[in-house]
Amino acid sequence: MNAQPNPPAIHPRAGQPLTGAEVIVQVLADEGVQMLFGYAGGAILPVFDALYRHNATHAGEDGREPMPLVVPANEQGAGFMAAGYARASGKVGVAIVTSGPGATNMVTPVQDCMADSIPLVVVCGQVGTAALGSDAFQEAPVHHLMGACAKHVFLVTDPARLEATLRSAFMLARSGRPGPVVVDCPKDVQNAALRFHGEGELALPGYRARLRRSDQAALSDAECVAFFEALRRARRPLLYAGGGVVAAGAAPALRAFADAFGLPVTTSLMGIGAVDTRAPLALHMLGMHGTAYANYAVEDCDFLCALGARFDDRVCGAPDRFAPRARFLAQVDIDPGEVGKVKPVHWQHVGPLARALDRLTAWGRAHGVRPDLAEWHAHLARSKRDHAMNYDRASPLIQPQAVLEAIDRHAQGRAIVSTGVGQHQMWAAQWLAFREPRQWLTSGAMGTMGFGLPAAVGAQLARPDSLVIDIDGDTSIRMNAGELETIARLELPVKVLVLDNGGDGMVRQWQRLYYGGRFAASARPGRRRDFVRAAQADGFAWARRLDDRNALEQTIAAFLAFDGPAFLEVAIDPDACVYPMVGPGASYAQMVTGPHIASREAAAPLAAAGAMF
Amino acid sequence: MPHTLSILLQNEAGTLLRVAGLFATRSCNIDALTVRATDDPSIARMVLEVRGDVPALDRLVQKARRLVDVLEVEQSPP
Ligand SMILES: Cc1ncc(C[n+]2csc(CCOP(=O)(O)OP(=O)(O)O)c2C)c(N)n1
Ligand SMILES: [Mg+2]
Repeated sequence: MNAQPNPPAIHPRAGQPLTGAEVIVQVLADEGVQMLFGYAGGAILPVFDALYRHNATHAGEDGREPMPLVVPANEQGAGFMAAGYARASGKVGVAIVTSGPGATNMVTPVQDCMADSIPLVVVCGQVGTAALGSDAFQEAPVHHLMGACAKHVFLVTDPARLEATLRSAFMLARSGRPGPVVVDCPKDVQNAALRFHGEGELALPGYRARLRRSDQAALSDAECVAFFEALRRARRPLLYAGGGVVAAGAAPALRAFADAFGLPVTTSLMGIGAVDTRAPLALHMLGMHGTAYANYAVEDCDFLCALGARFDDRVCGAPDRFAPRARFLAQVDIDPGEVGKVKPVHWQHVGPLARALDRLTAWGRAHGVRPDLAEWHAHLARSKRDHAMNYDRASPLIQPQAVLEAIDRHAQGRAIVSTGVGQHQMWAAQWLAFREPRQWLTSGAMGTMGFGLPAAVGAQLARPDSLVIDIDGDTSIRMNAGELETIARLELPVKVLVLDNGGDGMVRQWQRLYYGGRFAASARPGRRRDFVRAAQADGFAWARRLDDRNALEQTIAAFLAFDGPAFLEVAIDPDACVYPMVGPGASYAQMVTGPHIASREAAAPLAAAGAMF
Repeated sequence: MPHTLSILLQNEAGTLLRVAGLFATRSCNIDALTVRATDDPSIARMVLEVRGDVPALDRLVQKARRLVDVLEVEQSPP
């Protein structure tokens, strides 16, 4: 997936004497790494020094370094930059940090990448092997900490295994279900005198056997027959696509499959962009804050096929009442542990998604499968119209949805968008269009506030010609606000938009619903941050605050058109809520659509139509 | 109900901790635990006697099967 994943048959440096640190840098280069994110410190200095020398000797004629290093304000920033880079590009993100606090600051991004299956390699410095376990200065139990949250962690105590270990870390990060891999590297291992081999990985017999099994898994004719037999009987089939489709690069295969048989698609938060959200048969996001028409489609469907999706509790809070009319449930995933984990299924396949979908498309085409779904399509079109997303358009206050609509008019579904966590994240998921996968970058399963800003940095570096917008919350952005300065320093044309509702909006929404409106910890009266001055102080030449709804359109236009880093704070209605909402543990039948989106109960004739099913 | 899990894993520092930790931290009580190298010294067999409800245990077994340094997990009664 990276630029040069295959080093030449015999490595030009094979047999050369290198230090451990030089070996690390050479393996990074061989793996096609083109961008590094990291922060220095005593225990990792040999690696940074080797990187400095590598970049100096291999700089292009224009002075361009082959592996530029981006230094954040905090190691968490480096982790999320690498994650944003990985999410936007599909390549492995790489972060390099020092021991102790450098490594512990990396725990959150590593867990975040694990939860969202993002390929990441982290190289940590560690105290010398002789000092391990001695409570040495800046010693942290990285192996224990990361072992509990990473896909895998290596503590390299034998310098002879360093080269194969780092190479294996890349293989692990990108293969199977992708994830973060941590290589903990004691300082003496970095300084060891080694001979470079230029090839070789660790054996990892169990992992490789499982990988081989799933890589070779193919759908048999009998399995295709069973799938299409069920599809033939279905009147209201629905595809439910998750982040696995994006991770596997299976979006084209999914689109071809859905088109071939006229199958409507709803996606999870992580699956946004798997299909073009503007397509007629795209129902957008399902779940806790999904569109009403997607959630109604889940209620109505009689055939549901989950693709790289895991029925997590934000989608499926009440598993026994999820898709209650579905007579046939199918699931395809690369991870056998996800199949049937939450919801028992009638048909399953463990293997690469794109291959499975291509096979199903080909089989169905060859056997003339052409389901007549005209009635279902008409029903969904009506549902999209009657239960369309909407909000308080008459309010004198700026509504967050109006801001997003204005952005959408300019971006036309082409922007790369990162977010913080909270209401603004859900509004952005609901209201923005996305044509392609890897445009929507959000901390899905962990929900880590502070993700948006550093992820936007990584995304902009991965795709320098794209419009990258961080849609952030006024409290989420403060978690990694130090990275504003990084954006300005690197002169990245990232657009930072803060939807300012004066605090932890999503927390207040839950407190209003479930805690009698007692705003414990979320009401913070007193002085408020002056975001515009903060952004200016960090070097943003374009930084404004918008409070007048009449100036919305022109302000958004100027903001997005600015050639360079731009910061816009929009004062939005502090009481705006995210709707629809399916409460935690509730079924879709209990969805609340709020005051501005018609529910089935409100639209009696439609409720009757729903009841028909 | 007590269950016995037999797990083949790479015989390396840290592996034991990762596998045992998976069970110890997730409301699953370990009654007995033995680990020893197999005829192939790079591979060890861990035998765990655990108590916990079956769905929780099944989830843990799936998680253990996901660990990079685990080769095989057998469960009895399955
Ligand atoms: C690191 C972290 N801490 C706490 C939370 C819990 N939390 C979820 S949303 C939220 C409020 C976010 O406020 P803001 O960023 O302003 O977004 P809003 O909901 O107001 O749009 C909090 C505190 C979290 N998700 N992440
Ligand atoms: Mg807020």
